Amino acid sequence: MVTQVLTSVGTDGSLLRRAAEWRQTAGWGWETVSTGFSSLDRLLPAGGVRRGSLVEWLAGGDAAGGDAGGAITLACAVACRLADSRWADQATASQTSTIVVVDRGQRLYPPAVMPWLEAQATVASQGGPRPQLVVARPSRDDDELWTIDQALRCPGVAAVLAWPRRVHSTAMRRWQLAARGSGAVGLLVRGVSGGLQVGEPTWADAKVEVTPVAGGESVANLAVRRLRLALAGGPWSGDEMLEERSTELLVDLTSGRESTCRHRRSARHGTPVAAGRFQAGSVQLEESTCRAS
Amino acid sequence: MSRIMTVWLPRWPVQRRLLERPELRRRPVFVCRRERRGVMTVVAWAWAAPPRRAAPTVPQPGGVALSRIQAGMSLAEAMAVLALAHGSRACHSAEVDQDDPVADLAAIEELGRYCRRFAPIVAIAKPSQHAHGGPECLHIDVTGTAGFFGGEGPLVRTVVWTLAARGMHARAAIADTPAAAWAAAHHTDALHADMHQRADIHHRSPSGRQRKQIPAISRHRRWAIVPPGTSLQALAALPVTALRLDAAVTTQLRDVGIETIGGVARLPRKSLASRFDPQLAQRLAECTGERPEPLVVPCSGELPTAAQAFDFPLLLRDTTQDDLVLVIERLLQKCVAPLAAQGKGVMSLQVRLERSPSAEPRETCRPVIIDIGVFQPSSSANHLAELVKLRLARMRLPREIEGIAVEVVSAGMVECRQRTLFGAAAETAASQVGMLMDRLSGRLGRGAVFEPRPLADAQPEHAWAAVPPAARGSVPRSTPRFLSRSLSRAKSGPKRSQQEAAHNRSPEARMAASMAAPQRRPIWLLPRPVRLETVSVVGSSMDQAGASNGPPVRFCIGAQWHEVVKAHGPERIETAWWRGPTVRRDYYVVETSTGSRYWIFRCFPERPARRPGGEWFLHGTFS
Repeated sequence: MVTQVLTSVGTDGSLLRRAAEWRQTAGWGWETVSTGFSSLDRLLPAGGVRRGSLVEWLAGGDAAGGDAGGAITLACAVACRLADSRWADQATASQTSTIVVVDRGQRLYPPAVMPWLEAQATVASQGGPRPQLVVARPSRDDDELWTIDQALRCPGVAAVLAWPRRVHSTAMRRWQLAARGSGAVGLLVRGVSGGLQVGEPTWADAKVEVTPVAGGESVANLAVRRLRLALAGGPWSGDEMLEERSTELLVDLTSGRESTCRHRRSARHGTPVAAGRFQAGSVQLEESTCRAS
Repeated sequence: MSRIMTVWLPRWPVQRRLLERPELRRRPVFVCRRERRGVMTVVAWAWAAPPRRAAPTVPQPGGVALSRIQAGMSLAEAMAVLALAHGSRACHSAEVDQDDPVADLAAIEELGRYCRRFAPIVAIAKPSQHAHGGPECLHIDVTGTAGFFGGEGPLVRTVVWTLAARGMHARAAIADTPAAAWAAAHHTDALHADMHQRADIHHRSPSGRQRKQIPAISRHRRWAIVPPGTSLQALAALPVTALRLDAAVTTQLRDVGIETIGGVARLPRKSLASRFDPQLAQRLAECTGERPEPLVVPCSGELPTAAQAFDFPLLLRDTTQDDLVLVIERLLQKCVAPLAAQGKGVMSLQVRLERSPSAEPRETCRPVIIDIGVFQPSSSANHLAELVKLRLARMRLPREIEGIAVEVVSAGMVECRQRTLFGAAAETAASQVGMLMDRLSGRLGRGAVFEPRPLADAQPEHAWAAVPPAARGSVPRSTPRFLSRSLSRAKSGPKRSQQEAAHNRSPEARMAASMAAPQRRPIWLLPRPVRLETVSVVGSSMDQAGASNGPPVRFCIGAQWHEVVKAHGPERIETAWWRGPTVRRDYYVVETSTGSRYWIFRCFPERPARRPGGEWFLHGTFS
């Protein structure tokens, strides 16, 4: 297969420039699937997420509130997409598509993710597999590493989403081999507060830095989130790719998919909502209160 | 002299349902049987956790006590009593279920197999003829085994609290005969009250100082121990109903002024059978042990067991964990093989490592027990051995092991499908996910691995529940799994009938119903809202409490200030009045100048006069 690749790309030095294509062709036999976000697909070296690989998401944003930057949101959306397309071309009802979330800090709020699996539920009603979201909450660091490893080794798992605090290179390599054997995709969200992970060599297929776009134009009701993505490294020397590989995308927070709406100026309702009579349950009273400080 | 322990599980049909659906604890549950002409008769009922604001269960002056609801009463009558005591809302939220004696019996048999950890012989007590439900008691022959637990006192306490940890309310007593233990277990309160009274008389002295030295005995203890050879003396104060007599015999005794067992014991024994029903003499003889009462161990649906006794105690210093797993795997294969022939698999099993009594004199010599539960029936001995190995790696083993026993506690039907030419891989993948769940829960604990389920609750903290991962594609279990407590923390309100109906629907319909109006929720939710310090607020309008409307302009998290650039809201939530203090919040999604998004809310207390409103809290982050 390598010979075929060399023949196809030639020996005039273009092989190194087309490293992504080489890696994709000479992979370990797993398919590459779309993330559901066209700009992210263009950003990733393989043109999508290759099953049996790891993807690192570096959460950007401000120093103290770096955990509110949207990296986990994007990773969750990609995980739902992976569970969706996993068995899309097969009609056997007994198959399963499972997402395992390793929630070390016990902070995941499942009602935010469950609406995104609605599409898979629709597929299930047509005879397809039912999506399954499983949350594991380890209480210790070694349990967390073990849980990620076990989930990545399971053939029935579509994606494993985790936000480990510290990852050793050995553990990452073990996860890579585990994922390669099962076909699961490991989505690892890590903070960049130390600023050490950017450009570091990694066992993941890609390392994507996610930064929220502050200010600017946005949808009025904050249903869409605008994120800036930058390829921050990979198994190759990623330094030369940092400048040229960055993009922006819009995540629809209600569906977990790429937003198709155009940027428009937010509507300004000058008067905030008046304090009316409280009603039972959850009631959306007014659309927006937008202002600039 | 034999010693028998009786474990009584009051209102077992209701307890079984509460174990399967813990969310019912907040609602009154009636288990009814349909009689002739469609009349529903109450077999058992309970309200495990009535609301705090509801009327107390003790009789009030002019009020109605819930203790008036008895088994055998018609459902309409019971509902009327409930409405008088707690209002009509309690009746609307009541759960009425059909009696299922077969499932109740299967569940108590499963519990009996579980209780073999305390003693090898466990029998199920036959219900009395006038009882309205099925069996509710277990007889355990603890002759000679109490020493392993440090005596009869520690043993009976261990039994009660072990079952309590599993979510079961049990009362237990140890006596010489099953009949005496049955009577003591059903009247532990009366026994302790009698002991307290006798101790009080015995130690009464003119000086009050000595009286204070009498240990206080709780009148609501759940266990009792009848000393050997003193059955009649100890049970003398109990009512005659403790002898498991029919109602006619009880009435007959009451007519002649005999209310207690002591009164019966004082009658001449020879003329007892001729003067009263022969059942009375028979029960009294069973209570004293003059007439033997054999323990009938259930043999229907017996699940396989396997044991390995060593000629010499296995020393831990000479044995590795792999050696132990090898022996256990061999025993597991012996257990799994007969089940697999019937198309069944193991749902839960028990591995006992028997200790050597002489090796550790200072410690109690109770066996080390490893409980293994799986989410879907497994007929793979290797998989079960792997789960045992995971548990062995994280526990302290005894220094000497005399034997190993493996016992299957519950089994279920294994899904068997015709294999297709190309579908084999997918079938394997589905089973692999089940095995993964077993491994994860084996190491992390059963509560640490779950599947979220949406709930129709407006309060964000209660909008979902954690349930054990469902076995995909597996057939329904034949026996209920009470050994694994559900992780659901759903709390029901008074008017939850529609929500419960939604829960009973298929998962797809449930998901679609709950997602009909998608709300933007944060990916991360803090376990407790964090109070925020806000500096400036919008001053365009003020509410009645004097606080301004709209989100804050700046807020502080930790030591860093954030400037709000955009905001969306408010989403007003007022709910949970039936759970305690009413929750009144205005939620906003705010975006800061750095692009981070937070979910904050302003809290409005129920009584603004006591505490000023308008405090801001951070509840989640859009990570």
